[in-house]
Amino acid sequence: MSAFEINTPVIRQLIVKDWILFQKQLALCVTAGIVALCLIGMAKGWSFYLGSLLLIIVLVSAACFSISTSMLVERKDQTLAFVMSLPVSPLDYYLAKLVGSLITFLAPFLVILVGTVAVILLTPLPDGLLMLALLLFGHVLLAYSVSLCVAMAVESEGWNIFAMVGSMVLINPMIMLIGQIKSISSHFEGDHVVWNAPAISILLTQLIVSIAVLLITGWVHTRKKSFY
Amino acid sequence: MNALEGNAVQATARFHYMDNLRALAMLSGVIFHAALAYSPLLHPFFPTADRAQSFVVDVGIWFLHLFRMPLFFVVAGFFACMLVQRRGLGGFFGNRLKRIALPFVIFWPLVHLALSWSTVHAAASVQHPSPMLVMIQQFMQMEDAPTLPPGTGHLWFLYYLMIFYVLIWSARSMGLQRLDDSLRKLGPIWHLGLLPLVLVPALAAVSAPHPAPESLLPQFWALGFYAPFFAYGYLLFGQEDWLARARRIAPWLLLASIALYAVFLQLLAGQTYDAEDPSASLALAVLEAYISVWMTLVCLVAGRALLNRSNRVLRYLADASYWTYIIHLPVLFAIQYALMDLDWHWGLKFSVALIATSGICLLSYPLVVRGRFLTALVGSRAPAASAVSG
Repeated sequence: MSAFEINTPVIRQLIVKDWILFQKQLALCVTAGIVALCLIGMAKGWSFYLGSLLLIIVLVSAACFSISTSMLVERKDQTLAFVMSLPVSPLDYYLAKLVGSLITFLAPFLVILVGTVAVILLTPLPDGLLMLALLLFGHVLLAYSVSLCVAMAVESEGWNIFAMVGSMVLINPMIMLIGQIKSISSHFEGDHVVWNAPAISILLTQLIVSIAVLLITGWVHTRKKSFY
Repeated sequence: MNALEGNAVQATARFHYMDNLRALAMLSGVIFHAALAYSPLLHPFFPTADRAQSFVVDVGIWFLHLFRMPLFFVVAGFFACMLVQRRGLGGFFGNRLKRIALPFVIFWPLVHLALSWSTVHAAASVQHPSPMLVMIQQFMQMEDAPTLPPGTGHLWFLYYLMIFYVLIWSARSMGLQRLDDSLRKLGPIWHLGLLPLVLVPALAAVSAPHPAPESLLPQFWALGFYAPFFAYGYLLFGQEDWLARARRIAPWLLLASIALYAVFLQLLAGQTYDAEDPSASLALAVLEAYISVWMTLVCLVAGRALLNRSNRVLRYLADASYWTYIIHLPVLFAIQYALMDLDWHWGLKFSVALIATSGICLLSYPLVVRGRFLTALVGSRAPAASAVSG
């Protein structure tokens, strides 16, 4: 079997398995997301702050649950040995984990992203806030991609937790940093979304690095004989 | 017939009284919205508010308002449970996507545009405008007029249904079926005595009579008020014998509700609102909660006793009610704007608006919906299976 041949039926089964195992956590995230939207809908300063914070918590939780359910728990329960006894190559397994994790993460991520964009553009909130929201979503996407790649490349649970917590917690310095860039933050309270060079550069960097780390991890797995 | 066969019959049979109650809840919405134009209570806030108005309208419509949508959500919950049992969660969501989400996405912008157009036109042309139209006229004359955020309008119920469907999936994923069983075992005293108390915090958080939750963001109070009715309907599926047992007390609940409503009107007349916090008093919220639960139960019992049948007229009304409800408001507003400058009695204006709106909407159903693409979204196909006595 060449390194690039893939076993699609087994990959599909593994993705479905991850999706089924993730449903409980996803249900919690979705319920918390509805509560967060209700808080924002109360149109009070404190509730808006609390609702936004809860939305970020939901996003980060969805990212961490997604990786933990599909990778870390599987390793802890020692089901990896069983999975690898199936006719799957490291690349098959990598693809199953990548697609399964991306689906379980991107489902709530995209719903919350679309909801947030709608809330900002369709309510009296200043439209300029959209750029801050997009940069924060970009950060969560990048942190998720890095954490996912670490989970696929490193067996140590400690390093995996460090990667997840570390990358997600960096959202705080990220908010501070964006606040310091006047060409971006000065438009947050404006009535229009301002797509200037610094903002687009950061967004593109987040997107490109997210995709790059996933591709590099995949390339490494095509060269491996075992998953770890 | 064994238990398995019984459940299968239950899941495939047609519940005529629930079909008819849903149609009544929808069609009474047309009456409710038509009457709002002649309500003194809503005069400052309703675009088609007319010079001709009567206290009689307030007495009638706010009573209806307290249980019309609660009844609708009970029926919606009932059918949601039936669909889940019949098709599984995947089939349920596929069906709801087609019958609830898609109509919302298609009709919401159309209804919004039609209402905006007729309201702006009325603001420019009506000689005896309502306070709301006067405000819109002033807005139109401002150079930097603030734009109002779009709401869901009278289609808010579709928006909340979608949230409730997602919550069904959440509850099932989190393994809350055991809670279903515990709630189903509760006796009538719990249902009729304590369920209303669950609703009080939600109703005390908004003005009385409670408004329509038209914001694009979900509202806590609306979830707190309507979700228990939806859940109640969901749990009622398969337990319709409970309605038979409640038949004895239904007349008493009706009398008690009317008595409570008299007190509600008294308190409402003396209610003063703070502009900063226009929420209802606790007493008003308690009265609203009990009337809404008790009258919903009265409607369910009456529906099961009187409407558990189908004939050509009932069938037509049941089929056309969804379409009628979706399109009625732009039609109604256009007619009521045209009536605003006429010196007619409020009763005559109300009758003309109601008959014309209902006529246009109901008669357009076979022309626009039946046998066409829209049938799958807002229409109904041939009747299936037999009636169930519940």
